Formats: sequence, structure tokens, C-alpha cells
Amino acid sequence: MIELKDVSYVRLGTRDLEGATHFATDYLGLEISERVKGAVYFKSDQKEHTLCYFEGDPKDQAAAFEIDRREDLDAAAAQLEALGHAVRFGTPEEADARKVRAFIAFKDPSGNPIELVWRPAFSGRRYHGTRDAGITGFSHIGLCTTDAARDETFWTTVCNARVSDRIGDAPLLRIDEVHHSIAMFPSKTPGIQHINHQVESGDDVMRSFRFLSERQVPMVFGPGRHPTSSAKFLYFEGPDGMVFEYSSGVRSIADELLYRERQLPFEPKGFCEWGAKPEIAEFRK
Amino acid sequence: MIAIEQLRYVRLGTRDLPAAVDFAQRILGLQLIDRTEDTARFRSDFRDHTLVYVNGDPAEQAVAFEVRTPEVLERAVTALKQAGYRVTRGDADGAAARRVKTYASFTDNSGNTIELVVRPLNSGWRYFPARDAGVTGLEAVALRNRADGADEALWTTLFNGRVSDWVGDAAYIRFDRAHHRLALHPSQRAGVFAVEYAVESVNQLMQSHYFLQAAQVRVVHGPGRRPTSNQMFLTFAGPDGVLYSYVAEGDAIDETSHRPRQFPFRPLSFCAWGSESELPEFAAGADR
Repeated sequence: MIELKDVSYVRLGTRDLEGATHFATDYLGLEISERVKGAVYFKSDQKEHTLCYFEGDPKDQAAAFEIDRREDLDAAAAQLEALGHAVRFGTPEEADARKVRAFIAFKDPSGNPIELVWRPAFSGRRYHGTRDAGITGFSHIGLCTTDAARDETFWTTVCNARVSDRIGDAPLLRIDEVHHSIAMFPSKTPGIQHINHQVESGDDVMRSFRFLSERQVPMVFGPGRHPTSSAKFLYFEGPDGMVFEYSSGVRSIADELLYRERQLPFEPKGFCEWGAKPEIAEFRK
Repeated sequence: MIAIEQLRYVRLGTRDLPAAVDFAQRILGLQLIDRTEDTARFRSDFRDHTLVYVNGDPAEQAVAFEVRTPEVLERAVTALKQAGYRVTRGDADGAAARRVKTYASFTDNSGNTIELVVRPLNSGWRYFPARDAGVTGLEAVALRNRADGADEALWTTLFNGRVSDWVGDAAYIRFDRAHHRLALHPSQRAGVFAVEYAVESVNQLMQSHYFLQAAQVRVVHGPGRRPTSNQMFLTFAGPDGVLYSYVAEGDAIDETSHRPRQFPFRPLSFCAWGSESELPEFAAGADR
């Protein structure tokens, strides 16, 4: 069992690093933690970075999860290889570029690039956003799945994720008390579907809705409220078609024994209890 | 000083009563409790009714406030007359039609008709609407007024209203612990500007936001949050140029410590989330 402890960061390739940096700072509200040749690192919470844009193919993406111990990397690599996943140990240079001590990279059954990292860097300097979006931190990722049932089995049996709720066949998976750290979206192709940052309050969600609408940022879903996690949300489109989400008020699942996952319909009502209609490809039938 | 007990109802004239009835029931979510050929009454809470549509001139409007006893009403009539207001005493037929024991009406400095009612009817039967908009009751009324402050003075000196906050010269006036029951908006003309219904929570407010969009009702302001009362609001167009709002949350006023605040006449003083309105009353066109 691979014990995922936390979501660490997302890496996204882009052909327009300046444009992506402008979006991440002036619109999304992240803080630049470091600029190096060909890459920019962004901070959203106490971690040294939670998002990295690098010059490259927008299809080149990775989502990283933290594990506890160095030996867990070897055990995970052995387990994944036994299941037929190709596993690659990162070089020291690659680990430096990710601000971690060591990592392995593999692809989940749908083909999403996943990295397991050991000792990701935290920062003593607190996050101070470029604009006051009220961000409290990077919280979860949406992952495309080409077979939701198969991928649920992978994340819940090979890894330690638990199903918090299902919308249609798509599970929302938790690895700690937060309702979900991974949201699976049925799709024809793999890829990171969205990147979530938590904000302080519903007011922050609504202020950003106005702020971003005025700047012609395409809104793809919301403002709304998820019946699953009870979070108020707003989805909008960033560079290279990547969807970003702000949400506030995600429920916490404290009692693992008593909690039972619920089934919601794969239709707008299953995604929003206020009646917002999604413009996201993966949300449509 | 005449004590206002509470806001009771708003009466609006309309040339198209069936359309107004349809709006109040199907869109706004009130309960039709009584319908005659030329009158339709709607319930929103424990009060017998809080909205009345009457066949007639849309300029014929009235807002009713409750005073406690016939003696208080008598004192109010005297005080208003002394101050130079034209006061009309209600007759028995008028009282029966309003479902009150007795009443008087007068016109404020701007031309708005105000009714003072004694012992208005409450309902033992709970409010049960056709559409689940989550309405919990009539919360406030906004009036268009002259900009000279005469009506603010009327409500705060002759009556027991207190100003909770100002935005420019617009005044939010309270009679109880709610931030305001009456909002006075300086305007070119008189009339009922908006009728505001409280809803249970942000969920009902936002559900209505999407419901109104689907029903092609023109939302004129919001969803937003007022920095003054801290209420969330959604304001939309009703029949005959009268606006309706749903409001939720909001801060109660502590009489011992609250001091009225002056906010600048800017859109951000009407909505802290940044929603803008085309209405001059909400500072359309001014800097944020």
C-alpha cells in the first residue's frame, strides 16, 4: 500500500511562460517564489512551491504526492513495477528542480503522470499573494480518467485513497480528512483536469467571480456549491486550457468508521446545488 | 416620537394584474392567499399578507407600518398635521380591506404614500408558497426620495427611526435590531424602489440567482454583499418598474454601540463583491 500523505505540487508545461506567469500572479493570485531559466515557481501556502510552469509542451504535466519515508519510495517503485507500471527514479538535478530530496515518477492506469516525493521543501516565509484572492492553499487536483472504476481500484487498493462520494462513476478520493484530494473526471484522454486552491470564504469566491469576469477570464462553472463536499466553488480557464478552481468550505471527514460515501447523479444537479450549469467538457455526458 | 412597531405590507397598483400575480407566485415565490377581481394578496411569513397588487395606476403605491394602539395612531396623526403633512384617516371599509383595526395615511415629503396601521391581521396558518424560494419574510422596503434629507428627518425625528448607515445621501433606517427596514434612495422621482424579502441562507439566494436567469428575469444588481448591512442580496426587476430583492445573512445592530457610518457614493459601497448596476441609485457610472 502506497501511503499518500499530502498533495505537493503540480507541474505544467507551457509555450508561453510569461503569459502563464501573468495569469498565475495577476489573476489567480499566487506569489512567485522563484524564477529560473525556463521555469517559474509559485507559492500558495506554507510550501516552497505548489505550482511550477516550465517552458515545454502543455501536454507535459505532473501531479505530485508526498510520502513519509525514503524507503517508501523503493517499496512503491517495487509495487508499481510488479503491477506493470514503468517507474523512473528522478535524478538529483530533477529532484532539485522539484525542490524535493528524492522522487519517483510513474503513470496511473489512465496515463496521468504522477510523482511521489520525499521531503518537499517548506518555506519559512509566508505566502503573500500578488492580489488579495484570499487563497489559503493548494488543495486538490482533478484527474482525467479513461476508466473510472479501474482507476478507483488503483487509487484505493494500490494507494491509500478512500472514496468520499461518487458522481456517476467518478469518485472523489480523500487521502486525509479533507473530503477529496483527487477528483476523477471521466474523459477520453488523460491529463490534469483542474487545479484547486482553497480561499478563506464564500465572499472571496464571489469577489473573484466579479474580478475575473471583468477581465474576461472564461468562467466554466459557477459560482456554485458542491452537494458532495459542500464547498462553494468557481471554475475558470487559465493558460493552455487548464481549469482552475477556487473553493471554500470543503467538508472534513473526521470519522473514518462512521462516514459512508454517497452516490450522486452525473448531471448538473450532482455537481451544483445552486443550479449552475457546467461548461466543462468532462462534466457533460 | 412615534414608535413604529414593524413593517407590514406594500401595496402596488398595476395595469396587468394577472401578470403581477404570476410574477409574485411563480417567480418571487409568495403565497397567493386572496384573489378578487381587482386585488391579489400575498403572504410571505406570519403576517396575513405583505404584498398586495391592485388593479389600477402603477403610481398608486403605499407602504404600511404598524403602530401599537389607536392612541399612538392618534398622536401620530396630530404630530404629522402639526408638522404640515396631509393626513387622511381611514374609514371602516378601508380598514377591512387592509385587514387592520384602524389606520391613517399620509404623504411624505417626496410624494410616497405611507400608511400607519393598528392591529393588522396575523395568520395562524403558516406561509406555504408554490415555489420553494426559501423566503422567511418581508425584510425591508426601499423608497425613492427627494435628495434634501427631509424624509430622513421625518423618519428619525417624528418617528423613532435611527439611521444605521449612509451611502452618499442614501439612508438606511432601522426601527428594531435589523440593520434597516426602510432605505431612502435620493432619486429624480418618488415611488417604491425595491421590496426586499429575506431568504433562509446563501443557498436559496444563489439558487434563485440561477432560477431567475433560467426564467429570463432581469437581475439588476448582484448577487452581492452590502458592506453596510453585511447582507447578501440579489435584486431583480418586477412588474411596473418595481424591484424585488432577496436578502440573506446580515448583521444585527447593537443599539448601545452602533454608530452610523458614512460610505462614499460608489458602486463598491452597495456591493463589496464588485457587482455593478445600471441604476443611478446604486451609483452607476461612478468610480468603484
